[in-house]
Amino acid sequence: MDDDKIQKILNEIDVPDINENAKKHAVNLAVYEFQEYQKKSEKKSQGLSSIARLMDIINPKDRSNAMEQQTRKRLMYGSLATAMALVLVVGVTSQMTLNQATLDKESTGNDFADIAANISEPAQISQVNRAEPAMEELVIAQAPMEDQVSGQAASKPKPKKSFMAESDKATVLVKREKAAAPPAMMLAAPAEKELSVAHVDDYIDTSYKDEGRDQFEDFKINPIKLVTEEPVSTFSVDVDTASYSFVRNQLNSGVLPDKDAVRIEEIVNYFDYNYPLPESREQPFKPTVTVLNSPWNEGKKLMHVGIKGFDLQGERPKTNLVFLLDVSGSMNAPDKLPLLVNSLKMLVDNLNEEDKIAIVVYAGAAGTVLEPTSATNKSEIFAALDKLEAGGSTAGAEGINLAYQLAEENFDEDAVNRVILATDGDFNVGITDREELKEYVEEKRKSGIFLSVFGFGQGNYNDHLMQTLAQNGNGVAAYIDTLNEARKVLVDEATSSLFPIAKDVKIQVEFNPNAVSEYRLVGYETRALNREDFNNDKVDAGDIGAGHTVTAIYEFTTVGSNAQSVDALRYGEAQKEIAVTENDFDGEYAFLKIRYKKPDESKSRLITTPVTKSNEFGSITTLLTAHDKPPMLPIEDIAFSISAASFAQLLKDDKYINDMNYDDVISVANKAKGQDPFGYRSEFIQLVRLAKSINR
Amino acid sequence: MKEQKDEELIALAKDGNAKAFEDLVNNHYDTMYRMAFKWCRDQKDAEDITQEACIKLARGIQSFKGDSAFSSWLYRLVINAGKDWFKKNNRHVASELPEMPSKEATNDEVLYAKQVLDAVHQLPGGEKDALLLVHSEGLSHKEAAQVLQCKESTISWRIHEARKKLSAQFERNNRYG
Repeated sequence: MDDDKIQKILNEIDVPDINENAKKHAVNLAVYEFQEYQKKSEKKSQGLSSIARLMDIINPKDRSNAMEQQTRKRLMYGSLATAMALVLVVGVTSQMTLNQATLDKESTGNDFADIAANISEPAQISQVNRAEPAMEELVIAQAPMEDQVSGQAASKPKPKKSFMAESDKATVLVKREKAAAPPAMMLAAPAEKELSVAHVDDYIDTSYKDEGRDQFEDFKINPIKLVTEEPVSTFSVDVDTASYSFVRNQLNSGVLPDKDAVRIEEIVNYFDYNYPLPESREQPFKPTVTVLNSPWNEGKKLMHVGIKGFDLQGERPKTNLVFLLDVSGSMNAPDKLPLLVNSLKMLVDNLNEEDKIAIVVYAGAAGTVLEPTSATNKSEIFAALDKLEAGGSTAGAEGINLAYQLAEENFDEDAVNRVILATDGDFNVGITDREELKEYVEEKRKSGIFLSVFGFGQGNYNDHLMQTLAQNGNGVAAYIDTLNEARKVLVDEATSSLFPIAKDVKIQVEFNPNAVSEYRLVGYETRALNREDFNNDKVDAGDIGAGHTVTAIYEFTTVGSNAQSVDALRYGEAQKEIAVTENDFDGEYAFLKIRYKKPDESKSRLITTPVTKSNEFGSITTLLTAHDKPPMLPIEDIAFSISAASFAQLLKDDKYINDMNYDDVISVANKAKGQDPFGYRSEFIQLVRLAKSINR
Repeated sequence: MKEQKDEELIALAKDGNAKAFEDLVNNHYDTMYRMAFKWCRDQKDAEDITQEACIKLARGIQSFKGDSAFSSWLYRLVINAGKDWFKKNNRHVASELPEMPSKEATNDEVLYAKQVLDAVHQLPGGEKDALLLVHSEGLSHKEAAQVLQCKESTISWRIHEARKKLSAQFERNNRYG
């Protein structure tokens, strides 16, 4: 009798096929119970599940199960847990009184057996959480009740009514749903299987679900380049933030994000940084360049370029917005259509009488839901939004044509004309060919109507197409996973997301081969441009909105440093005589050039600045703790953006990061958190902790 | 990818989304039912136990923290529901063994397997649970320990004990047969 044999026999246990009726019945019963339980716990704000919810808030901070951590947590949460245990007992008692009457009526000899068996229930639910120290406290709090009840149960096999009244403390928790249920459902449990069929319709799911079909462009992290071979680096700015929200969503659900979902620059640019603004409005932004010691590799340096666009502050131009909304069946989830509707309401609340809004839907249903309406007419807009329903098959629709048509009809030269596409990945907008769709969007962009794309939900999320479309449409691509994120994208940043102050913004850096031997651009992999594209105004690039910040970071190695990643050539040096004499550009690391167009112009303007030793400030950690910080330099913002870049690289590909781990990221980010009025930076730190514990 | 889907559904269900909870139950009913059947070896009982487990899931989903796999957690619900169910019906699992569903036990191997299974179900509860989880559901000792809320070494020990008992029994039987 060996292992294999036992395994084989046990493996081959013949399980009879599933009885679909029994399954349906069980599912319905569970859903019913679920809903009742939800209702109960909502009503009684001190009920069991609100404690569970409280625990939820506490626990994601540290999911580690290590023993010492547990002990630490126990110390930290000990008092809190005690308080909760108290609340629990109160909750139970109040429920007990409420249900006692019903229970008395209901109780029969048979039921008692049922109840007695169920008594251990709450304790079991708690046991499930034994890994959570605070819940252990709960178990302790409950244990006496359980003992007491089962003890009596054993001594009194045939219950009396009076006994019920005394001993059903724990039972109440278990039985109360049944007691409160309509008669047909009341005792539907094991015996009467057909009773709950009436509820089936309520729960039948007609929508479809795609599993794990989120699509991302596959790309590799930028490599180290040799200045002698490729002295110039060119890329387009990117102010999208979709990647950060998506990564956050993934981490919060306990998985590390797909590497392709991590776009370093979007994670860095998610946060708002207070880089200095230009002196005059004539120039929409100015670059702030800082050279620091690289925290990633000893001996290397960072060149940090921060750009902040000026804020409009009260002089926001009019808007002509057309929402193109996906209402296909897959949008039928709480984090999709309802979130979208609420997000749009928030946006509408922040617009005024000069702004116009129209709504077009596609897929599922097609057509104009709201003709262009002034934003002051809120009731009409809200009514249209409230009527939106997701469902039905994906009927092909001329959605996109219709949306642009409405935008064109109301085209206002002085206004920002924009189509906002919101979807969970279904781009069946009437043009099926992707290239054609891209060209269409590009064509319309030239006529002055821009496109932004807001992504929702997971499972079918088409990140790649979203990015492409938004880039071609001079708009932002944002991923909205929570109402808070919607507020950030649509309200806090409404001016920046919607009102471009510069378009086709390109950055070019030329490194001085006398000073710099190697460099690596952190992020912007999907935004790389050819060297010759920089001066070509026909080549499209990213936009900067009012108040937007853009951060670009290069890691570089100076000539003569012993931190070189690439060995010097043995034979090649002689030929690589450098044309310039050293004196001309002595002390210059690089030369930074930025090209941009004003939103209504087609000819680009140029900003240039040399990056010299005078931009150098040493180590970021030293700077953070220094007493005399350099004036005019937003040290905390710079440090935080570096910690965001570090985190993104750790998630994506850490091959160029030698001296920094998750703990270091947390430490820098903590010191650089600053005021953090909306808590975005604190949330970031939590995410790093989460990633660390998942990664383990 | 399926796990990820679960994570989403669990998160939604915790927020009170009945639809997500329903999907979750639908997705996992089969696994739960199979485990329940292996555990009690009676279709009707297995259905009842699974149903109880589903209801437990409805009440307990809030307390699932994701520190063990969701499937492990479900196994625990099933096993607990099974114990409760047998307690409720005033019988001990091993004391009243139902017949296996009538597959023609024509050859010796099937008969032998049936005897082994019978023996497995005569084992003390803890040993049976451990054996089923590890050898039938393919869990590692560590995972099984999470399900049964004991130390990994306890699982190993229980399996060792179970194996020893089965070996003793069947080596004896073989001598006769």
